[in-house]
Amino acid sequence: MSKILIDIGSTYFKVCEKDKIEQYFRNFERNIFDDFQNRCGDILSQYAKEDIHICSSANGGLSTLIIGLTHSFSLKYATNIAYNAGINIIDTVLYSHIDEYTPPLEQIDVVIIVGGIDGVENIFDEKLLHYIRQISYHNIVYVGSDKSHDFLKENIENIFIMQNIITDKLKVKGEELKSYLTNLYQQDIMGKEDIKQLYEFTANQIYSTPYIVNSSMGMMYETFDVADPFILIDIGGATTDIHYSRDLVIDNIVSESEYDRLVFKKLGVFKSRDSLVFSAKNNEYVYELLEYLNVTENILEEHSQNATRVLMLLSIFLVLYKTSLHHNLYVNLQLEKLNSIIFTGGITKILSQEDVDMIVKFFYKKLFNFNNIPTLILDKEYKIWTLTMLKGS
Amino acid sequence: MKVVTGVVGNDIHVVANRLIDISLQERGFDVFNLGVNTYLEEFVDAVIETDADVLLISSLNGEAEGWCRDLGILKNRFDLSKVVFMIGGNLSVGEVSIDEIIPKFKNYGFDLVSHQSDLNEGLDKLEAFLKERS
Ligand code: B12
Repeated sequence: MSKILIDIGSTYFKVCEKDKIEQYFRNFERNIFDDFQNRCGDILSQYAKEDIHICSSANGGLSTLIIGLTHSFSLKYATNIAYNAGINIIDTVLYSHIDEYTPPLEQIDVVIIVGGIDGVENIFDEKLLHYIRQISYHNIVYVGSDKSHDFLKENIENIFIMQNIITDKLKVKGEELKSYLTNLYQQDIMGKEDIKQLYEFTANQIYSTPYIVNSSMGMMYETFDVADPFILIDIGGATTDIHYSRDLVIDNIVSESEYDRLVFKKLGVFKSRDSLVFSAKNNEYVYELLEYLNVTENILEEHSQNATRVLMLLSIFLVLYKTSLHHNLYVNLQLEKLNSIIFTGGITKILSQEDVDMIVKFFYKKLFNFNNIPTLILDKEYKIWTLTMLKGS
Repeated sequence: MKVVTGVVGNDIHVVANRLIDISLQERGFDVFNLGVNTYLEEFVDAVIETDADVLLISSLNGEAEGWCRDLGILKNRFDLSKVVFMIGGNLSVGEVSIDEIIPKFKNYGFDLVSHQSDLNEGLDKLEAFLKERS
């Protein structure tokens, strides 16, 4: 019996049967379950629950607060692991300055505390406890030096202690934290009414879409004509994700994953349209770019098919721009080394090969003065999110 | 004893770095080598994460001054009073007198400064300094 794969996004449902992929624009008047049942109920009834696989990015994911000892190691490592686990919302607190941070008011799904290689003593003290008492959270975990275990267990109720993510050689080791966060995501889905109901359709676990996409990075060669190093840009309705080969980063993270993920929360074309436009208007190249695209600034206020197209092109330009320069982003990619770029998500349904060619050419010409650009691949059939789901089961 | 080492700034001269790593290990130090192209903030962060006793910075391409003059600011930000700071390599461009270089780098916050000198001599000095301190 064949399988059916479903991706519940913030703006679309995607349904993949054998070789055919259909996509349905969400009806926001209805909740996810009803909307989905209404559109796809007939198709689903033809499959056994075991053959239905669902992943979702619609519930926004977990919110995370990371408290770490330094920017270059603990915070960077934990942020990296959290992004790879599919988490979108990450706030960080540098422990030495913890008293200068205003504690967040909203509930946090998971607080991560990290610092020091094993053997390092007296890292955390009353300052940490004071801060923790002011925030509300569902889960709290510790992944730093073993010498702090006793202090934290004694003073923070329900703290969950895991293996240090910083090795004795100051490298990163994230598997345990990553699988913890991935599991938490599952539980979170189970807890959210909207998504919980989706388990009525499937007997399989519902995964987060970014997690599924990241897991498929190593399988890309089987399906696409890509050459390392490459990046994958997933522009959706609410967020934009970049998954990239680690070869593109110069830093001291030596991670066991070959491909990492980075999220831009505010560069989606539908749900975060306003901040995308804001970001575009503040970019030094925007007027040149609009002229190059043969449109005026007014297009940014329009709601036409062409406006969506222009916004998507801007979004591609902005994510490349933001990852390539020093922006205090936590990584910068060496895009001059890039061999291929794969595009996936809603944009592949609207942009043509010529469109992406044009925007990437503009980017490379302006920023690097290159006339040659990486090979560009449009994942029009959304093969990427089906790779892992088909393999893994 | 724990030592954090590496080459500061945009400096890719790696040979000395490998030698320093090996020599320090032979002398019984626990070495955290951040390699070439390391920023000052990363060095200080590594000292904090490992609770290192020594930070030993190399600079070969002549840009040491530009990359290290903010050490004082970083030292003020954290409690690093127990850490020994050392720098060595080619600390300036062209012929500059050692009498000018050493006070300058000491002023930035380095305890030991070694310009164009032999590595083993430098490490002997470091060990003597550590002994004296304890
Ligand atoms: C090989 C080399 C290169 C190679 C490096 C390859 C590599 N990945 O390592 C290449 C060709 C890439 C290169 C590039 C450049 N180089 Co070059 N390079 C050299 C060269 C010839 C040898 C360096 C070497 O490996 N020596 C062997 C090691 C073992 O010795 P060492 O580096 O001196 O280190 C010893 C001591 O200094 C000491 N030491 C080092 N650190 C420390 C720290 C402490 C605490 C202590 C106690 C001791 C210590 O111990 C080490 C072992 O004995 C030197 C000239 C020379 N003969 O030294 C120039 C030299 C270092 N380079 C120089 C320059 C200017 C450059 C460039 C800027 C040139 C350019 N314009 O492009 C670039 C810089 C690139 C960059 N971003 O860093 C200058 C530096 C000038 C200065 N400081 O005044 C030198 C001195 C040449 C010169 N005389 O002009 N270089």
